[in-house]
Amino acid sequence: MSNALLSLCLSAIPSVDSRLDHSLLSTINMEVFKRAILQPGPPQAFALQTVQEVIKPQKQTKLAQDENQLLENILRTLLQELVSSAVQSGEQIMQYGQSIDDGETSQGHIPRLLDIVLYLCEREHVEGGMIFQLLEDLTEMSTMRNCKDIFGYIESKQDILGKQELFARGKLVMLRTCNQLLRRLSKANDVVFCGRILMFLAHFFPLSERSAVNIKGVFNTSNDTKYEKDPPDGISIDFNFYKTFWSLQEHFCNPASLTLASAKWQKFTTSLMIVLNTFEAQPLSDEEGDANNLEEESANFSIKYLTSSKLMGLELKDPSFRRHVLVQCLILFDYLKAPGKNEKDLPSESMKEEIKSCEERVKKLLEMTPPKGKDFLCKIDHILEREKNWAWWKRDGCPPFEKQPLEKKTVQDGAKKRRQKWRLGNRELSQLWKWADQNPNALTDPQRVRTPHIMEYWKPLAEDMDVSAGIEADYHHKNSRVYCWKGLRFSARQDLDGFSRFTDHGIEGVVPLELLPPDVRSKYQAKPNDKSKRAKKDESKGAAAQAEENQIATPASEVDGEGIRADLEASAAQMDVDVTATGNISQGGTPTPDEHQKQSSDTDNGQEAGQLEADAEVEAGMIDGETDAEVDLDAVG
Amino acid sequence: MCGDARNWDEDAYRESILKEREIQTRTVFRTVWAPAQNPNPNPETIVAASSDGSIASYSISSCISKLQSFRNTKAQHLLVAEPDCFVQGHDGPAYDIKFYGDSEDALLLSCGDDGRIRGWRWKDFTNSDVPITLQAGKQMKPVLDLVNPQHKGPWSALSPIPENNAIAVNIQGGSIFSASGDSCAYCWDVETGKLKVVFKGHSDYLHCLVARNSANQIITGSEDGTARIWDCKSGKCIQVIDPAENTKLKGFFSCVSCIALDGSESWLACSSGRCLSIWNLPASECISRTSTRASVQDVLFDDNQILAVGAEPLLCRFDINGAILSQIQCAPPSAFSVSLHPSGVTAVGGYGGLVDVISQFGSHLCTFR
Repeated sequence: MSNALLSLCLSAIPSVDSRLDHSLLSTINMEVFKRAILQPGPPQAFALQTVQEVIKPQKQTKLAQDENQLLENILRTLLQELVSSAVQSGEQIMQYGQSIDDGETSQGHIPRLLDIVLYLCEREHVEGGMIFQLLEDLTEMSTMRNCKDIFGYIESKQDILGKQELFARGKLVMLRTCNQLLRRLSKANDVVFCGRILMFLAHFFPLSERSAVNIKGVFNTSNDTKYEKDPPDGISIDFNFYKTFWSLQEHFCNPASLTLASAKWQKFTTSLMIVLNTFEAQPLSDEEGDANNLEEESANFSIKYLTSSKLMGLELKDPSFRRHVLVQCLILFDYLKAPGKNEKDLPSESMKEEIKSCEERVKKLLEMTPPKGKDFLCKIDHILEREKNWAWWKRDGCPPFEKQPLEKKTVQDGAKKRRQKWRLGNRELSQLWKWADQNPNALTDPQRVRTPHIMEYWKPLAEDMDVSAGIEADYHHKNSRVYCWKGLRFSARQDLDGFSRFTDHGIEGVVPLELLPPDVRSKYQAKPNDKSKRAKKDESKGAAAQAEENQIATPASEVDGEGIRADLEASAAQMDVDVTATGNISQGGTPTPDEHQKQSSDTDNGQEAGQLEADAEVEAGMIDGETDAEVDLDAVG
Repeated sequence: MCGDARNWDEDAYRESILKEREIQTRTVFRTVWAPAQNPNPNPETIVAASSDGSIASYSISSCISKLQSFRNTKAQHLLVAEPDCFVQGHDGPAYDIKFYGDSEDALLLSCGDDGRIRGWRWKDFTNSDVPITLQAGKQMKPVLDLVNPQHKGPWSALSPIPENNAIAVNIQGGSIFSASGDSCAYCWDVETGKLKVVFKGHSDYLHCLVARNSANQIITGSEDGTARIWDCKSGKCIQVIDPAENTKLKGFFSCVSCIALDGSESWLACSSGRCLSIWNLPASECISRTSTRASVQDVLFDDNQILAVGAEPLLCRFDINGAILSQIQCAPPSAFSVSLHPSGVTAVGGYGGLVDVISQFGSHLCTFR
């Protein structure tokens, strides 16, 4: 019957005048959703359809902003109505509307509604924050008991709610909701629920979420431990000890104050010594450990020990109580030792010593405290070690833990990265450096660039020199300094005999005789009978020449017969040095005796030739020019 | 302190130096907690017997309050407590004190090197409003004064009066037992002041004595290295306990310096030299034997645990098997007495005239001389 009415209403909607009373409109819309809730089957079957039915969106699958707002208003009102009727019925709100058919429990109305909205949000049909808004409304409307159920729902949908799209839309609302819940809960009595909420938050937010981090490491100094100041009547207690013991808490609560005032530190250590002495004096046995360990599996776990003086005796016999105090000490020491603080906040040397000895005592005591003191200490050590990592993480500005994929990163800041990647100076150098690694077959490659053979290399020049070819002097290859220089290098390596002819004939002398036509060739051929004459002369002049040779730095412009000759020899020697050991060029002025001998024998030929040429002076000048050119080239190269 | 030299009194100065010396070398041989007068579980008053023959009572609460102001001055010296009441009880050292009864008209019994047992009315101690000087105590008169008998030698020669090293009481029987230096234990009648029984059998002087009232027995420990159980009615020795028997230390001769009975009077702790042995009396068997670092000078049962002090500044707690449960540093370098208040507060007295009061937590309530 009601269905019929509804369908009637529905059919009326399109014709509803825009001036129609808004509340009536929303009532009608709400009815549509109510019907949807009652509908069986998965939400994807009808959810979008229902929304389209109500809103008439401009786009088929995605709502515009005002449409979202409208939908949200409808849903919030609907939720409110559902909750109020659930409360009136006296049922738990998350179970309201549940029915058990055929042994199958159908969902309650509210979870059903939430499911549908969640589905819509997940598919981005509607704005993602909507589900969070509804959940916040719901927790605000419910009693604490119902909130537990609601939170159970939230926990069960954690995976979906935590999806990036939804999370981004609703994280703040979720955080607010949880904080509101925490505020409403009693820290002492609802420990489990509080824990659930905190666990949820921990999972829901990324590990590196900064909002919950105590960035500056501020201490909660308002966590004041109150204890009795006057000794009680009627019970026997060492009240001085009681006061000493609880006064430690004031330091644990604000460790930063200890480093600033040495008087405070003195007070703290004397108090701590008294307490540690007492702990040491009364070690707990294993049975006592078992007998007094009420905490294990007990529901009434409290986060703070009571400080009544009447409890002092019992507390001192409780191993877990001792552990708490000792762990507090370790935390405090850890803080004091931690680096990365201001210079003035760091403990002094004497203080460090004291801390060290205290820490050892505390650790020993922890080890002694049953049950399983050793294991416990081990775990605590581990935790404190990890705590250091957190401190460093905070100090480094809480970098996210999620590492971006590597390729993405290089694309993002490629330019910056690449510069850092060059191992050698610049791109070309490092490419050269890596080239061999990347091309292991390069050596055997037939295509690879090799040093050309001089027969090949000098061919162009030989052609130039062939008079029959008739090439004009301007186009001769010998005009190209680079060509000449390279050729000289090659000849020096491959054809020393030809190279030595450079002294007499210049660059054209270097060209292998085989390349030249016979008529030109004869011009450059040395006469074999000259050799003996040259040797004789050399013998008489040898000493002087050698003396001159040792002063290569003498300017070449010093022109006299002997000087030119020496110059000549010197430049030849320089050439030779160039050839045999390139690195020696700079030391050319003072060759070692060994080198010197080698040089003189190597250059024998050239000198001989020079001696016999009639136009020795001219040649020498020319050679000088050549060598100068070479030096120039060298500089350019 | 000594700015004005015009009225220089060298004798007084010399005396003060001597007194200072005396105080420093004084030894507290016994501390006893006074019976509580009102239902206050806190330990209130402690009585100490010292080597100068004095018996003095101290109020713990005033000591503690003084200690606080003392601590503020940050002086490193020990608190010198002003006794509530002071009696020069004996010529020579006072070795033992015991309360006889715990009501208001309890007697405080003391014994010492002069071979006397003296009984003082505790009421007089507590009510003495007289400002205390060292001499004022002489005004108080003992209500009971017993002297050990002297032994007659040939030609009517008399031995010196043997000293009393320990006393014990049996309130129901109205008896006082004393362990004496003539290797005898004596049983006195409190009412008449007459000697009732003489326990003769040890071959050397007695160190200690406990009364096992449930069985009408006493147990004595002697320099001869044995402890003996005596029947008070017959005055006969029932059993000789030799702590050193069956041990390798047979040749090493050590006296029984202290013995203690537990609350049920069926366990006996007995120390000879550096060995602490626990005996089960009904089975008359040694349960455990522990060797300690220093010789034990006083033992005490705390339920099923044993407190022991000795020639080192430590208060040790053993279980019945002789395993050390805890060791608490205490002030006297050598402790001669340990006493336990029902609240768990322990007092250790010893060399230097020091008394260290240790709370049930093992913390030091106060230390004074």
